[in-house]
Amino acid sequence: MRTLAAEASKLASLPSVWIALAAGVLVPSVIAGITASATLGAITRGAKTLAGVDTGYQELAFGVVGVIILGVVGISSEYFTESAESGGGRQVTTSLTAVPSRLRFLLAKISTIAITSALLAITAAATTMGVVQVVLGERAPALGADDVPRLVGVVCYWVYTALLAFGITVLTRHGVIPLAVLIANTSVVTVTYLLTKITPLANYLPDMAGVRMFIRKLADNTVEISPLTGGLVMTAWVTVLLVIAAIAFTRRDA
Amino acid sequence: MTTIPTLATRTHAREAAQALAAELSKLLSLPATWLTLGGTLAVNLILATAFTIAGLQGSTGTKSALDIGLASISYAQAGFVILGVLAACSEYTGGQIRTTLTAMPRRALQLSAKHLALAIVVLPAAAITAASGVVLTAAALGDAAVPVTSGHVAAALSGVTAYLALTTLISAAVGALVRQTLAAVVILLGYFFIVGPLLRDHTPAAKYLPDSAGFAMWFPVADNASAVTPAQGALLLTAWTIVLIAVALLGYRRRDS
Repeated sequence: MRTLAAEASKLASLPSVWIALAAGVLVPSVIAGITASATLGAITRGAKTLAGVDTGYQELAFGVVGVIILGVVGISSEYFTESAESGGGRQVTTSLTAVPSRLRFLLAKISTIAITSALLAITAAATTMGVVQVVLGERAPALGADDVPRLVGVVCYWVYTALLAFGITVLTRHGVIPLAVLIANTSVVTVTYLLTKITPLANYLPDMAGVRMFIRKLADNTVEISPLTGGLVMTAWVTVLLVIAAIAFTRRDA
Repeated sequence: MTTIPTLATRTHAREAAQALAAELSKLLSLPATWLTLGGTLAVNLILATAFTIAGLQGSTGTKSALDIGLASISYAQAGFVILGVLAACSEYTGGQIRTTLTAMPRRALQLSAKHLALAIVVLPAAAITAASGVVLTAAALGDAAVPVTSGHVAAALSGVTAYLALTTLISAAVGALVRQTLAAVVILLGYFFIVGPLLRDHTPAAKYLPDSAGFAMWFPVADNASAVTPAQGALLLTAWTIVLIAVALLGYRRRDS
Protein backbone atom coordinates (compact mmCIF):
# COMPACT_ATOMS: atom_id res chain seq x y z
CA MET A 1 0.00 0.00 0.00
CA ARG A 2 2.86 2.36 0.82
CA THR A 3 4.50 1.37 -2.46
CA LEU A 4 1.29 2.30 -4.23
CA ALA A 5 1.19 5.66 -2.47
CA ALA A 6 4.82 6.27 -3.40
CA GLU A 7 4.14 5.51 -7.05
CA ALA A 8 1.07 7.73 -7.06
CA SER A 9 3.09 10.57 -5.55
CA LYS A 10 5.86 10.15 -8.16
CA LEU A 11 3.33 10.08 -10.97
CA ALA A 12 1.51 13.18 -9.75
CA SER A 13 4.77 15.13 -9.54
CA LEU A 14 5.55 14.73 -13.24
CA PRO A 15 4.50 17.73 -15.37
CA SER A 16 4.06 15.50 -18.44
CA VAL A 17 1.49 13.44 -16.56
CA TRP A 18 -0.65 16.55 -16.11
CA ILE A 19 -0.26 17.30 -19.82
CA ALA A 20 -1.35 13.71 -20.51
CA LEU A 21 -4.42 14.10 -18.31
CA ALA A 22 -5.36 17.38 -20.02
CA ALA A 23 -4.86 15.82 -23.47
CA GLY A 24 -6.95 12.81 -22.49
CA VAL A 25 -9.94 14.96 -21.56
CA LEU A 26 -9.56 17.79 -24.10
CA VAL A 27 -8.76 15.83 -27.29
CA PRO A 28 -11.94 13.69 -27.37
CA SER A 29 -14.30 16.38 -26.05
CA VAL A 30 -13.09 19.17 -28.35
CA ILE A 31 -13.14 16.89 -31.39
CA ALA A 32 -16.59 15.64 -30.37
CA GLY A 33 -17.74 19.26 -30.16
CA ILE A 34 -16.45 20.00 -33.68
CA THR A 35 -17.90 16.84 -35.25
CA ALA A 36 -21.18 17.16 -33.40
CA SER A 37 -21.72 20.71 -34.64
CA ALA A 38 -20.83 19.57 -38.18
CA THR A 39 -23.40 16.77 -37.83
CA LEU A 40 -25.97 19.22 -36.50
CA GLY A 41 -25.37 21.41 -39.56
CA ALA A 42 -25.86 18.39 -41.82
CA ILE A 43 -29.10 17.46 -40.04
CA THR A 44 -30.58 20.97 -40.25
CA ARG A 45 -29.65 21.13 -43.95
CA GLY A 46 -31.45 17.83 -44.36
CA ALA A 47 -28.39 15.97 -45.61
CA LYS A 48 -28.63 13.55 -42.71
CA THR A 49 -31.49 12.53 -40.47
CA LEU A 50 -29.78 11.07 -37.43
CA ALA A 51 -26.44 11.25 -35.69
CA GLY A 52 -24.43 8.03 -36.13
CA VAL A 53 -24.52 5.24 -33.59
CA ASP A 54 -20.84 5.84 -32.82
CA THR A 55 -21.15 9.58 -32.09
CA GLY A 56 -18.88 10.31 -29.15
CA TYR A 57 -17.37 6.83 -29.11
CA GLN A 58 -15.41 7.51 -32.28
CA GLU A 59 -13.81 10.52 -30.60
CA LEU A 60 -13.08 8.57 -27.43
CA ALA A 61 -11.01 6.20 -29.57
CA PHE A 62 -8.67 9.13 -30.35
CA GLY A 63 -8.53 10.23 -26.73
CA VAL A 64 -6.26 7.30 -25.84
CA VAL A 65 -3.34 9.57 -26.73
CA GLY A 66 -3.64 10.80 -23.14
CA VAL A 67 -3.18 7.38 -21.59
CA ILE A 68 -0.44 6.52 -24.10
CA ILE A 69 1.59 9.45 -22.75
CA LEU A 70 0.69 8.41 -19.20
CA GLY A 71 1.84 4.82 -19.69
CA VAL A 72 5.06 5.80 -21.44
CA VAL A 73 6.08 8.62 -19.11
CA GLY A 74 5.17 6.58 -16.02
CA ILE A 75 8.16 4.30 -16.62
CA SER A 76 10.46 6.26 -18.96
CA SER A 77 10.83 8.96 -16.28
CA GLU A 78 12.48 6.34 -14.08
CA TYR A 79 15.25 5.91 -16.64
CA PHE A 80 15.80 9.60 -17.38
CA THR A 81 19.45 10.41 -16.60
CA GLU A 82 20.00 13.61 -14.66
CA SER A 83 22.68 15.98 -15.88
CA ALA A 84 26.25 15.40 -14.71
CA GLU A 85 26.25 18.28 -12.23
CA SER A 86 23.29 16.85 -10.34
CA GLY A 87 25.04 13.54 -10.04
CA GLY A 88 24.03 11.83 -13.27
CA GLY A 89 21.59 9.67 -11.33
CA ARG A 90 18.44 7.92 -12.40
CA GLN A 91 15.20 7.68 -10.47
CA VAL A 92 15.08 3.91 -10.90
CA THR A 93 18.11 3.32 -8.63
CA THR A 94 16.42 5.26 -5.84
CA SER A 95 13.10 3.52 -6.43
CA LEU A 96 14.65 0.06 -6.30
CA THR A 97 16.62 0.96 -3.17
CA ALA A 98 13.35 1.88 -1.49
CA VAL A 99 11.42 -1.09 -2.89
CA PRO A 100 13.95 -3.89 -3.46
CA SER A 101 11.39 -6.41 -4.69
CA ARG A 102 11.23 -5.69 -8.39
CA LEU A 103 7.99 -7.53 -8.89
CA ARG A 104 6.32 -5.54 -6.13
CA PHE A 105 7.67 -2.32 -7.63
CA LEU A 106 6.35 -3.21 -11.08
CA LEU A 107 2.96 -4.29 -9.71
CA ALA A 108 2.62 -1.01 -7.83
CA LYS A 109 3.47 0.90 -11.01
CA ILE A 110 0.99 -1.11 -13.08
CA SER A 111 -1.76 -0.58 -10.49
CA THR A 112 -1.09 3.16 -10.27
CA ILE A 113 -1.19 3.58 -14.04
CA ALA A 114 -4.28 1.39 -14.40
CA ILE A 115 -6.18 3.30 -11.70
CA THR A 116 -5.16 6.71 -13.09
CA SER A 117 -6.14 5.74 -16.65
CA ALA A 118 -9.47 4.35 -15.46
CA LEU A 119 -10.25 7.62 -13.66
CA LEU A 120 -9.12 9.59 -16.71
CA ALA A 121 -11.26 7.44 -19.01
CA ILE A 122 -14.35 7.94 -16.85
CA THR A 123 -13.79 11.71 -16.78
CA ALA A 124 -13.14 11.86 -20.52
CA ALA A 125 -16.16 9.70 -21.38
CA ALA A 126 -18.43 11.83 -19.19
CA THR A 127 -17.11 15.08 -20.68
CA THR A 128 -17.29 13.84 -24.28
CA MET A 129 -20.80 12.44 -23.96
CA GLY A 130 -21.83 15.62 -22.17
CA VAL A 131 -20.49 17.75 -25.04
CA VAL A 132 -22.32 15.58 -27.58
CA GLN A 133 -25.60 15.88 -25.65
CA VAL A 134 -25.25 19.64 -25.25
CA VAL A 135 -24.32 20.34 -28.88
CA LEU A 136 -26.79 17.98 -30.53
CA GLY A 137 -29.58 18.53 -28.01
CA GLU A 138 -32.60 16.36 -28.74
CA ARG A 139 -30.98 15.01 -31.90
CA ALA A 140 -28.25 13.28 -29.92
CA PRO A 141 -28.42 9.50 -29.78
CA ALA A 142 -30.20 8.71 -26.51
CA LEU A 143 -28.01 7.31 -23.77
CA GLY A 144 -29.67 4.19 -22.43
CA ALA A 145 -28.94 0.86 -20.81
CA ASP A 146 -27.13 -0.22 -24.01
CA ASP A 147 -24.47 2.37 -23.42
CA VAL A 148 -23.38 1.03 -20.04
CA PRO A 149 -21.41 -1.94 -21.45
CA ARG A 150 -20.03 0.29 -24.22
CA LEU A 151 -18.78 2.89 -21.74
CA VAL A 152 -17.26 0.12 -19.65
CA GLY A 153 -15.59 -0.96 -22.90
CA VAL A 154 -14.17 2.55 -23.34
CA VAL A 155 -12.67 2.44 -19.85
CA CYS A 156 -11.22 -1.05 -20.48
CA TYR A 157 -9.77 0.09 -23.81
CA TRP A 158 -8.07 3.11 -22.25
CA VAL A 159 -6.63 1.10 -19.32
CA TYR A 160 -5.34 -1.61 -21.65
CA THR A 161 -3.79 0.93 -24.01
CA ALA A 162 -2.00 2.59 -21.10
CA LEU A 163 -0.69 -0.80 -19.99
CA LEU A 164 0.44 -1.65 -23.54
CA ALA A 165 2.37 1.63 -23.72
CA PHE A 166 3.78 0.91 -20.26
CA GLY A 167 4.85 -2.64 -21.17
CA ILE A 168 6.59 -1.55 -24.37
CA THR A 169 8.44 1.22 -22.55
CA VAL A 170 9.63 -1.15 -19.79
CA LEU A 171 11.35 -3.05 -22.60
CA THR A 172 12.75 -0.04 -24.51
CA ARG A 173 13.54 2.06 -21.39
CA HIS A 174 13.21 5.20 -23.46
CA GLY A 175 10.03 7.05 -24.26
CA VAL A 176 10.53 8.42 -27.76
CA ILE A 177 10.11 5.25 -29.82
CA PRO A 178 6.98 3.87 -28.08
CA LEU A 179 5.45 7.35 -28.16
CA ALA A 180 6.16 7.77 -31.87
CA VAL A 181 4.84 4.33 -32.80
CA LEU A 182 1.72 4.53 -30.64
CA ILE A 183 0.78 8.13 -31.48
CA ALA A 184 1.31 7.50 -35.20
CA ASN A 185 -1.00 4.53 -34.80
CA THR A 186 -3.72 6.67 -33.20
CA SER A 187 -4.02 8.76 -36.37
CA VAL A 188 -7.25 8.91 -38.34
CA VAL A 189 -6.21 6.02 -40.58
CA THR A 190 -4.22 3.75 -38.32
CA VAL A 191 -1.43 1.48 -39.50
CA THR A 192 -3.18 -1.53 -38.00
CA TYR A 193 -6.34 -0.62 -39.93
CA LEU A 194 -4.30 -0.59 -43.15
CA LEU A 195 -2.94 -4.02 -42.23
CA THR A 196 -6.50 -5.37 -42.09
CA LYS A 197 -6.64 -4.59 -45.82
CA ILE A 198 -3.85 -7.11 -46.36
CA THR A 199 -4.78 -9.85 -43.95
CA PRO A 200 -7.95 -10.35 -41.90
CA LEU A 201 -5.71 -11.58 -39.07
CA ALA A 202 -4.78 -7.94 -38.40
CA ASN A 203 -8.26 -7.54 -36.94
CA TYR A 204 -6.92 -9.39 -33.93
CA LEU A 205 -4.14 -6.88 -33.24
CA PRO A 206 -4.67 -5.30 -29.81
CA ASP A 207 -6.09 -1.94 -30.89
CA MET A 208 -8.28 -3.28 -33.70
CA ALA A 209 -9.75 -5.93 -31.41
CA GLY A 210 -10.02 -3.52 -28.48
CA VAL A 211 -12.10 -0.88 -30.24
CA ARG A 212 -14.78 -3.52 -30.87
CA MET A 213 -15.65 -3.18 -27.21
CA PHE A 214 -17.40 0.11 -27.95
CA ILE A 215 -17.34 0.91 -31.69
CA ARG A 216 -20.25 -0.69 -33.52
CA LYS A 217 -19.55 0.24 -37.14
CA LEU A 218 -15.98 0.13 -38.50
CA ALA A 219 -15.75 1.66 -41.97
CA ASP A 220 -15.13 -0.83 -44.79
CA ASN A 221 -14.73 -3.76 -42.49
CA THR A 222 -16.63 -6.99 -42.87
CA VAL A 223 -15.03 -9.06 -40.13
CA GLU A 224 -17.41 -9.40 -37.20
CA ILE A 225 -15.90 -9.60 -33.73
CA SER A 226 -18.23 -9.39 -30.75
CA PRO A 227 -17.40 -6.82 -28.03
CA LEU A 228 -16.64 -9.60 -25.56
CA THR A 229 -14.26 -11.42 -27.94
CA GLY A 230 -12.55 -8.12 -28.75
CA GLY A 231 -12.06 -7.42 -25.07
CA LEU A 232 -10.70 -10.90 -24.41
CA VAL A 233 -8.27 -10.65 -27.34
CA MET A 234 -6.94 -7.34 -26.07
CA THR A 235 -6.71 -8.75 -22.52
CA ALA A 236 -4.60 -11.59 -23.86
CA TRP A 237 -2.23 -9.18 -25.67
CA VAL A 238 -1.82 -7.00 -22.58
CA THR A 239 -1.25 -9.99 -20.28
CA VAL A 240 1.41 -11.49 -22.55
CA LEU A 241 3.19 -8.15 -22.94
CA LEU A 242 3.15 -7.43 -19.20
CA VAL A 243 4.49 -10.92 -18.40
CA ILE A 244 7.35 -10.38 -20.87
CA ALA A 245 7.98 -6.94 -19.39
CA ALA A 246 8.00 -8.37 -15.84
CA ILE A 247 10.45 -11.12 -16.79
CA ALA A 248 12.74 -8.61 -18.51
CA PHE A 249 12.48 -6.16 -15.63
CA THR A 250 13.28 -8.72 -12.92
CA ARG A 251 16.19 -10.28 -14.80
CA ARG A 252 17.95 -7.29 -16.40
CA ASP A 253 20.27 -4.88 -14.65
CA ALA A 254 18.27 -1.80 -13.78
CA MET B 1 62.06 40.97 -26.97
CA THR B 2 58.83 39.24 -26.13
CA THR B 3 56.20 39.06 -28.76
CA ILE B 4 52.96 40.72 -27.89
CA PRO B 5 50.20 38.15 -28.18
CA THR B 6 47.69 39.33 -30.73
CA LEU B 7 44.01 38.50 -30.42
CA ALA B 8 43.09 36.03 -33.08
CA THR B 9 40.53 37.67 -35.28
CA ARG B 10 38.44 35.93 -37.83
CA THR B 11 36.13 37.19 -40.47
CA HIS B 12 32.37 36.69 -40.18
CA ALA B 13 32.44 34.30 -43.12
CA ARG B 14 35.08 32.18 -41.44
CA GLU B 15 33.16 32.20 -38.15
CA ALA B 16 30.01 31.05 -39.95
CA ALA B 17 31.87 28.31 -41.81
CA GLN B 18 33.43 27.05 -38.59
CA ALA B 19 30.04 27.09 -36.84
CA LEU B 20 28.54 25.06 -39.66
CA ALA B 21 31.40 22.57 -39.55
CA ALA B 22 30.99 22.23 -35.78
CA GLU B 23 27.24 21.66 -36.02
CA LEU B 24 27.68 19.12 -38.83
CA SER B 25 30.27 17.28 -36.79
CA LYS B 26 27.95 17.15 -33.76
CA LEU B 27 24.97 15.97 -35.80
CA LEU B 28 26.91 13.29 -37.69
CA SER B 29 28.56 11.96 -34.54
CA LEU B 30 25.26 11.33 -32.73
CA PRO B 31 24.39 7.64 -32.97
CA ALA B 32 20.74 8.71 -32.63
CA THR B 33 20.95 10.48 -36.02
CA TRP B 34 21.93 7.35 -37.85
CA LEU B 35 19.59 5.10 -35.85
CA THR B 36 16.65 7.40 -36.58
CA LEU B 37 17.43 7.72 -40.29
CA GLY B 38 18.06 3.98 -40.68
CA GLY B 39 14.97 3.08 -38.68
CA THR B 40 12.84 5.46 -40.72
CA LEU B 41 14.06 3.95 -43.99
CA ALA B 42 13.36 0.43 -42.70
CA VAL B 43 9.86 1.33 -41.47
CA ASN B 44 9.14 3.10 -44.75
CA LEU B 45 10.13 0.02 -46.75
CA ILE B 46 7.98 -2.26 -44.56
CA LEU B 47 4.97 0.05 -44.92
CA ALA B 48 5.56 0.43 -48.68
CA THR B 49 5.57 -3.37 -48.94
CA ALA B 50 2.26 -3.48 -47.08
CA PHE B 51 0.75 -0.80 -49.33
CA THR B 52 2.03 -2.64 -52.43
CA ILE B 53 0.40 -5.89 -51.33
CA ALA B 54 -2.83 -3.99 -50.70
CA GLY B 55 -2.42 -2.40 -54.16
CA LEU B 56 -1.98 -5.78 -55.82
CA GLN B 57 -5.20 -6.93 -54.16
CA GLY B 58 -6.87 -3.85 -55.56
CA SER B 59 -8.01 -2.32 -52.28
CA THR B 60 -6.13 0.98 -52.62
CA GLY B 61 -8.30 2.21 -55.47
CA THR B 62 -5.26 3.19 -57.53
CA LYS B 63 -2.68 1.27 -59.52
CA SER B 64 -0.16 4.08 -59.80
CA ALA B 65 3.25 3.04 -58.45
CA LEU B 66 3.86 6.66 -57.50
CA ASP B 67 0.73 7.08 -55.35
CA ILE B 68 1.12 3.70 -53.65
CA GLY B 69 4.87 4.12 -53.13
CA LEU B 70 4.47 7.52 -51.50
CA ALA B 71 1.51 6.55 -49.28
CA SER B 72 3.88 5.33 -46.56
CA ILE B 73 5.53 8.76 -46.29
CA SER B 74 2.69 10.15 -44.18
CA TYR B 75 3.72 7.64 -41.49
CA ALA B 76 7.47 7.70 -42.13
CA GLN B 77 7.51 11.46 -41.54
CA ALA B 78 7.40 10.60 -37.80
CA GLY B 79 11.07 9.60 -38.12
CA PHE B 80 12.00 12.98 -39.57
CA VAL B 81 10.08 14.78 -36.83
CA ILE B 82 12.05 12.80 -34.24
CA LEU B 83 15.34 13.60 -35.99
CA GLY B 84 14.62 17.34 -35.91
CA VAL B 85 13.66 17.22 -32.24
CA LEU B 86 16.72 15.16 -31.31
CA ALA B 87 19.07 17.54 -33.13
CA ALA B 88 17.74 20.47 -31.10
CA CYS B 89 17.07 18.80 -27.74
CA SER B 90 20.25 16.70 -27.47
CA GLU B 91 21.98 19.97 -26.50
CA TYR B 92 19.96 20.03 -23.30
CA THR B 93 20.71 16.53 -22.02
CA GLY B 94 23.84 16.53 -19.92
CA GLY B 95 24.88 20.14 -20.41
CA GLN B 96 26.24 20.03 -23.98
CA ILE B 97 24.65 23.45 -24.45
CA ARG B 98 27.23 25.12 -22.17
CA THR B 99 30.13 23.76 -24.22
CA THR B 100 28.37 24.76 -27.42
CA LEU B 101 27.74 28.33 -26.32
CA THR B 102 31.22 28.73 -24.87
CA ALA B 103 32.65 27.80 -28.26
CA MET B 104 30.06 29.75 -30.26
CA PRO B 105 28.82 32.66 -28.14
CA ARG B 106 26.80 34.21 -30.94
CA ARG B 107 23.56 32.37 -30.41
CA ALA B 108 21.69 33.35 -33.56
CA LEU B 109 24.64 32.22 -35.67
CA GLN B 110 24.90 28.95 -33.76
CA LEU B 111 21.22 28.04 -34.08
CA SER B 112 21.10 29.05 -37.75
CA ALA B 113 24.18 26.88 -38.37
CA LYS B 114 22.39 24.00 -36.62
CA HIS B 115 19.37 24.32 -38.89
CA LEU B 116 21.58 24.57 -41.98
CA ALA B 117 23.57 21.50 -40.93
CA LEU B 118 20.34 19.63 -40.34
CA ALA B 119 19.06 20.59 -43.80
CA ILE B 120 22.32 19.35 -45.37
CA VAL B 121 21.97 15.97 -43.63
CA VAL B 122 18.24 15.59 -44.15
CA LEU B 123 17.90 16.46 -47.84
CA PRO B 124 19.71 13.36 -49.18
CA ALA B 125 18.13 11.17 -46.51
CA ALA B 126 14.65 12.41 -47.42
CA ALA B 127 15.30 11.88 -51.13
CA ILE B 128 16.49 8.31 -50.49
CA THR B 129 13.50 7.53 -48.23
CA ALA B 130 11.02 8.97 -50.72
CA ALA B 131 12.56 7.18 -53.69
CA SER B 132 12.88 3.85 -51.84
CA GLY B 133 9.14 3.37 -51.52
CA VAL B 134 8.44 4.29 -55.14
CA VAL B 135 11.21 2.05 -56.51
CA LEU B 136 10.01 -0.88 -54.38
CA THR B 137 6.40 -0.42 -55.48
CA ALA B 138 7.30 0.03 -59.14
CA ALA B 139 9.42 -3.14 -59.07
CA ALA B 140 6.70 -5.15 -57.35
CA LEU B 141 3.84 -3.92 -59.49
CA GLY B 142 5.78 -4.38 -62.74
CA ASP B 143 3.50 -4.21 -65.73
CA ALA B 144 0.40 -3.95 -63.55
CA ALA B 145 1.29 -0.36 -62.67
CA VAL B 146 -0.39 2.53 -64.38
CA PRO B 147 2.31 4.30 -66.43
CA VAL B 148 3.32 7.77 -65.17
CA THR B 149 5.51 10.30 -66.91
CA SER B 150 9.01 10.83 -65.59
CA GLY B 151 8.29 14.53 -65.16
CA HIS B 152 5.40 13.68 -62.85
CA VAL B 153 7.62 11.33 -60.82
CA ALA B 154 10.36 13.96 -60.52
CA ALA B 155 7.87 16.61 -59.39
CA ALA B 156 6.32 14.35 -56.76
CA LEU B 157 9.67 13.11 -55.46
CA SER B 158 11.13 16.60 -55.15
CA GLY B 159 7.91 17.70 -53.43
CA VAL B 160 8.19 14.90 -50.87
CA THR B 161 11.89 15.58 -50.31
CA ALA B 162 11.28 19.29 -49.72
CA TYR B 163 8.28 18.50 -47.49
CA LEU B 164 10.27 16.11 -45.29
CA ALA B 165 13.24 18.50 -45.05
CA LEU B 166 11.05 21.48 -44.10
CA THR B 167 9.13 19.34 -41.58
CA THR B 168 12.45 18.35 -39.98
CA LEU B 169 13.46 22.03 -39.72
CA ILE B 170 10.09 22.92 -38.17
CA SER B 171 10.58 20.09 -35.67
CA ALA B 172 14.06 21.37 -34.80
CA ALA B 173 12.68 24.89 -34.27
CA VAL B 174 9.93 23.57 -31.98
CA GLY B 175 12.51 21.40 -30.22
CA ALA B 176 14.71 24.46 -29.62
CA LEU B 177 11.72 26.25 -28.09
CA VAL B 178 10.47 23.35 -25.94
CA ARG B 179 13.96 21.98 -25.04
CA GLN B 180 12.62 18.63 -23.80
CA THR B 181 12.72 15.70 -26.18
CA LEU B 182 9.62 13.90 -24.95
CA ALA B 183 7.44 16.99 -24.71
CA ALA B 184 8.48 18.20 -28.18
CA VAL B 185 7.86 14.77 -29.71
CA VAL B 186 4.41 14.58 -28.11
CA ILE B 187 3.44 18.07 -29.31
CA LEU B 188 4.66 17.53 -32.87
CA LEU B 189 3.38 13.99 -33.38
CA GLY B 190 0.08 14.87 -31.72
CA TYR B 191 -0.25 17.71 -34.21
CA PHE B 192 0.87 15.81 -37.32
CA PHE B 193 -1.05 12.61 -36.63
CA ILE B 194 -4.14 13.54 -34.63
CA VAL B 195 -5.01 17.24 -34.52
CA GLY B 196 -3.87 18.10 -38.07
CA PRO B 197 -5.79 15.37 -39.93
CA LEU B 198 -8.94 16.01 -37.87
CA LEU B 199 -8.83 19.77 -38.46
CA ARG B 200 -8.28 19.11 -42.17
CA ASP B 201 -11.56 17.20 -42.30
CA HIS B 202 -13.63 19.76 -40.45
CA THR B 203 -12.33 23.29 -41.02
CA PRO B 204 -11.59 24.79 -44.44
CA ALA B 205 -8.94 27.18 -43.07
CA ALA B 206 -6.83 24.19 -42.00
CA LYS B 207 -5.50 23.86 -45.54
CA TYR B 208 -3.11 26.73 -44.80
CA LEU B 209 -1.59 24.98 -41.77
CA PRO B 210 1.90 23.50 -42.23
CA ASP B 211 0.88 19.85 -42.50
CA SER B 212 -1.94 20.30 -44.99
CA ALA B 213 -0.04 22.89 -47.05
CA GLY B 214 2.92 20.51 -47.12
CA PHE B 215 0.74 17.59 -48.17
CA ALA B 216 -0.45 19.65 -51.14
CA MET B 217 3.16 19.59 -52.38
CA TRP B 218 2.95 15.92 -53.25
CA PHE B 219 -0.33 14.30 -52.21
CA PRO B 220 -3.04 14.07 -54.88
CA VAL B 221 -5.78 16.43 -53.65
CA ALA B 222 -9.33 16.75 -54.83
CA ASP B 223 -9.70 18.98 -57.87
CA ASN B 224 -11.49 22.08 -56.78
CA ALA B 225 -10.80 25.74 -57.28
CA SER B 226 -10.01 26.56 -53.67
CA ALA B 227 -7.45 23.75 -53.21
CA VAL B 228 -3.84 24.71 -52.52
CA THR B 229 -1.59 24.05 -55.54
CA PRO B 230 1.79 22.34 -55.04
CA ALA B 231 3.64 25.63 -55.60
CA GLN B 232 1.43 27.51 -53.13
CA GLY B 233 1.84 24.65 -50.67
CA ALA B 234 5.62 24.86 -50.96
CA LEU B 235 5.51 28.63 -50.38
CA LEU B 236 3.21 28.27 -47.38
CA LEU B 237 5.32 25.56 -45.77
CA THR B 238 8.51 27.55 -46.38
CA ALA B 239 6.89 30.58 -44.77
CA TRP B 240 5.83 28.51 -41.73
CA THR B 241 9.36 27.13 -41.43
CA ILE B 242 10.97 30.59 -41.61
CA VAL B 243 8.54 32.02 -39.06
CA LEU B 244 9.09 29.15 -36.62
CA ILE B 245 12.87 29.30 -36.96
CA ALA B 246 12.70 33.08 -36.40
CA VAL B 247 10.63 32.57 -33.23
CA ALA B 248 13.09 29.91 -32.07
CA LEU B 249 16.03 32.28 -32.73
CA LEU B 250 14.36 35.08 -30.79
CA GLY B 251 13.56 32.81 -27.87
CA TYR B 252 17.06 31.37 -27.93
CA ARG B 253 18.69 34.82 -27.80
CA ARG B 254 16.51 36.14 -25.01
CA ARG B 255 16.17 33.17 -22.66
CA ASP B 256 18.72 31.65 -20.30
CA SER B 257 19.93 28.38 -21.65
